[in-house]
Amino acid sequence: MTWTCEQTDARLSDYLDGLLEPAEQTAFDHHVNGCGRCTPLVAGVSQVLTSLHRLEQVEPSPRLVNAILTVTQGPQTWRNAKRWLRGLQSPRFVYGAVSVAATIVLLLTATGFNWRRPKLADLAPATIYRNADSGLHRVYARTAKFVSDLRVVYEIQSRINETEQSPAMREDTIPRSSPKKEPGRTDNSQPSSPKQQNRADEIGRNLRVLACEFPTLIGALADRRVS
Amino acid sequence: MEQDAQLVQQCLQGDGSAWEELVRRHTRRIFNICYRFTGNSTEAEDLTQDVFLRVYRTLRSYRSAYGGFATWMTSVTRNLLIDHYRRTKRDRVTDSLDDAMPVVENKESVGRRPDEQALVGELSGQVQTALTRLSPELREAVILRDLQQLEYIEIQKVLAVPEGTVKSRINRGRIELARILQQMGVRPS
Repeated sequence: MTWTCEQTDARLSDYLDGLLEPAEQTAFDHHVNGCGRCTPLVAGVSQVLTSLHRLEQVEPSPRLVNAILTVTQGPQTWRNAKRWLRGLQSPRFVYGAVSVAATIVLLLTATGFNWRRPKLADLAPATIYRNADSGLHRVYARTAKFVSDLRVVYEIQSRINETEQSPAMREDTIPRSSPKKEPGRTDNSQPSSPKQQNRADEIGRNLRVLACEFPTLIGALADRRVS
Repeated sequence: MEQDAQLVQQCLQGDGSAWEELVRRHTRRIFNICYRFTGNSTEAEDLTQDVFLRVYRTLRSYRSAYGGFATWMTSVTRNLLIDHYRRTKRDRVTDSLDDAMPVVENKESVGRRPDEQALVGELSGQVQTALTRLSPELREAVILRDLQQLEYIEIQKVLAVPEGTVKSRINRGRIELARILQQMGVRPS
């Protein structure tokens, strides 16, 4: 393979980068070794490459990074503020903030704070304490009354059930097998036993007490029984 | 490279710290490209700022299919450098007579410095001076290949020219650089 000076010019980088085929490499070397023009050219470019590779990286000014950030994102204080605001958007912070807000709302509501007509005076510690105290007492009274009502209703219900299920209150369950006749009795009616009579008296007393306390409820229950 | 793509995504979601990380990762490299192209650290810093400003504004147009964030950024840098070269061309023509002065000073100073490190530093300055005398097309090709160690395929993407043109420019740039250094009387070791 013959090699020319023009080929040396055109393929010099391939030679220096080791990209020539073996046959081309041989022809290149053969030509360059015998050419007075190409020999100094190849040597000079090789030395230039060596010098370029020896060039060290230049360190920029330490202020350059900050200057770039200022140009793109604004001054340092503004960047810090934006970073802080971005931190507020994290789910953990939002969850915590909502929890705290809900707690404050609940506490204020519990202390009697008027949300429709809010006043600064309502937030005074003495007012909050007074409102909380009265509120607690109200809640306690309501709870006690509610429990008491429940107990009374349960009592009424259980008494009614007992009355309905009691054999003494149902005439068809009265045993007729007793052949005894009391002296002076001309009808066939069966006198109640003393035990049954006592129970009936007790129920009667309870109903009268309940009727005094809950006239409406007792009336409704009586209507239901009649129907 | 994947980390760059992830940082870009975070930037697009408004994460300022991700942008800060990108700036820290690429400032030195971009600054060096600019410095080797202009030969002036002040100009290089201004251009580096311009590069990042443009990247920041056009970050949404970046597509990972382009070939990596670094390559895309290098392409933006190259375009800005070419713009800068065209903008300042007239100034350089008027200043061309003054360009010989630093070279003469460097040439004279080579013999006076006994310290080898100083010689290397001097040689670097001369190579840098020779680089700035190359035409911008050859200069950018040589910088990307021999200083930034980019592959041909990456340079092809950055310069947006065929691979044959890339190889040709690199080859011509090296030969031209050797010729300029020879004219300056510098014999690289």
